[in-house]
Amino acid sequence: MITLAQAAGDQRFFRWDWVWSHLGLILEKVTEHLMLTGIALGVGLAIAFGLALIGLRFPRSYPPITWVTGLLYTIPSLALFALLVPITGFTTMTAEIGLVSYTLLILIRNIVAGVQGVDPAVRESAIGMGYGRRKLLLEIELPLALPVILAGLRIAAVTTIGLVTVTALIGRGGVGFFILRGLNRFFDTEIVLGTALSVLLAVAVDVALVAVERWLTPWTRTRGVV
Amino acid sequence: MPDAMIRLESVTKVFPGSTTPAVKDLSFEVSQGEIAVLVGPSGCGKTTTLKMINRLVEPTSGRIVVAGEDVMSVPGHELRRRIGYVIQQVGLFPHRTIADNIATVPRLLGWDQPKIAARVDELFALVDLDPAFRDRYPRSLSGGQRQRAGVARALAADPPVLLMDEPFGAVDPIIRSRLQDELLDLQRRLHKTIVLVTHDIDEAIKVGDRVAILNVGGFLEQYGAPADILREPAGPFVEDFLGSDRGIKRLSLMPIRDVALETGPVVDRSASIGEAQAAMERYGVDWFGILDGDVLAGWAPSTDLDAGPIASLQARPFMARLGYGDSLRDALDTVITSHTRVAPVFDGDRFVGVLTAEAISRELAK
Repeated sequence: MITLAQAAGDQRFFRWDWVWSHLGLILEKVTEHLMLTGIALGVGLAIAFGLALIGLRFPRSYPPITWVTGLLYTIPSLALFALLVPITGFTTMTAEIGLVSYTLLILIRNIVAGVQGVDPAVRESAIGMGYGRRKLLLEIELPLALPVILAGLRIAAVTTIGLVTVTALIGRGGVGFFILRGLNRFFDTEIVLGTALSVLLAVAVDVALVAVERWLTPWTRTRGVV
Repeated sequence: MPDAMIRLESVTKVFPGSTTPAVKDLSFEVSQGEIAVLVGPSGCGKTTTLKMINRLVEPTSGRIVVAGEDVMSVPGHELRRRIGYVIQQVGLFPHRTIADNIATVPRLLGWDQPKIAARVDELFALVDLDPAFRDRYPRSLSGGQRQRAGVARALAADPPVLLMDEPFGAVDPIIRSRLQDELLDLQRRLHKTIVLVTHDIDEAIKVGDRVAILNVGGFLEQYGAPADILREPAGPFVEDFLGSDRGIKRLSLMPIRDVALETGPVVDRSASIGEAQAAMERYGVDWFGILDGDVLAGWAPSTDLDAGPIASLQARPFMARLGYGDSLRDALDTVITSHTRVAPVFDGDRFVGVLTAEAISRELAK
């Protein structure tokens, strides 16, 4: 372990030797970062799907749903975590409640827009051939909405990965741990490392989601005929 | 009519929020194996009428019977799996391959995989779609190919009834004409009961065994065979809708085959010059055809006779030829643009006679 004195005494901006000697800790925090992000996106998607389906089925419920999730989205993250700590403590639960809240608006909007954007002729021909409401949604509308839904998921993922660093304040934070500790003890290497890792994770996850999208929507790639 | 496959009894549809009915007290029948075309201006309720047959729209009052069964007595989605449906934009599922698109209804009906695969093969052949398209997505097909795939998909579970809503409205005129011919060809083999909606009176006349001409508000102005409607329009609306070229439209329904053809100014190669001159005089033309037995070798102008006996003449090929199966409308152009108003008619390679402008106008007067 490096001591504060050692860290503060060395004026080099970025110390690779520190990185090499802390690979275990870095891996642990990256893993935590991905876990926090994954859970937030998974739970966020599940809740968003539920609310989006309600919004699609009962159009009058859609404006209040976007209003509430929009309100959640506007709360500053720092304030949200501060508000939650007295209730749920310094726990992963607290972190996830905050993270999930911020994914909902984007995901719900994209699911609804994706389904509403399905070509009316496709919907009409499906119903005309004997599709029921449920089968229509599951086999036609949702698959065709996938590109829009995944676009939303990508934005939510990148946003969440950035936000996870803030949860360092409540003892979680993934690579945000390095940023916070670096700030506390004026150790640039940790601040730079935490920031760079967070950015790299965001880029890597985004690229991975693009690959998933290509794999899930092969029909969008075939050459069209004019 | 005991063999009515589709029967509408005093059907009325008033859409919510509207005071005037889209369709009012409409009754008609479609016999098994016939193509009935609903045609009329926009707002005449033709598409609404079509959609009531498979319950995409439910009638406000009245009764619709398909294959002896009141459509309201069957759950809508089950009814629709038994009725083929084709729309103008086709509506192929973009995320499914052409084979999977065609397999849609068999899958909904729970057929097993081998049966579905065999049926899909059959349908590719039936609508003349290249099997190379099996695993392609709809995006990579042309408009005409998509339309064929849409028809194949509608026919997949072999429904007795096929509903088509402006099926050829989105393709260019040349492809449209070809698709119409293909539909007629399919129908000769399949004998489905088809209801087709169009705003194109020429299409109605071409493909319909029976044509229903609807006026605004779903009022049935006339329902009958195209030839009957063209000969005796039921009123000023129908007359107006058919257009001023009603006579020429009628010609499109008359095949040359049904006309008594004249032999024409045609002589055998062994004939004398005098016989050739007599033949030309009879028809008032300055040319004659030369027959080698059953085969019309060609023609020669009267001036060639100065050069020597017919046997020695070089017969010139006919530029204008008519087929036995062509309609009088096709023939009209050929006949009136030839300077002698006469065109030879062939059954394959066999010469069967000549058609004159007089013969065409005589047919119209009948």
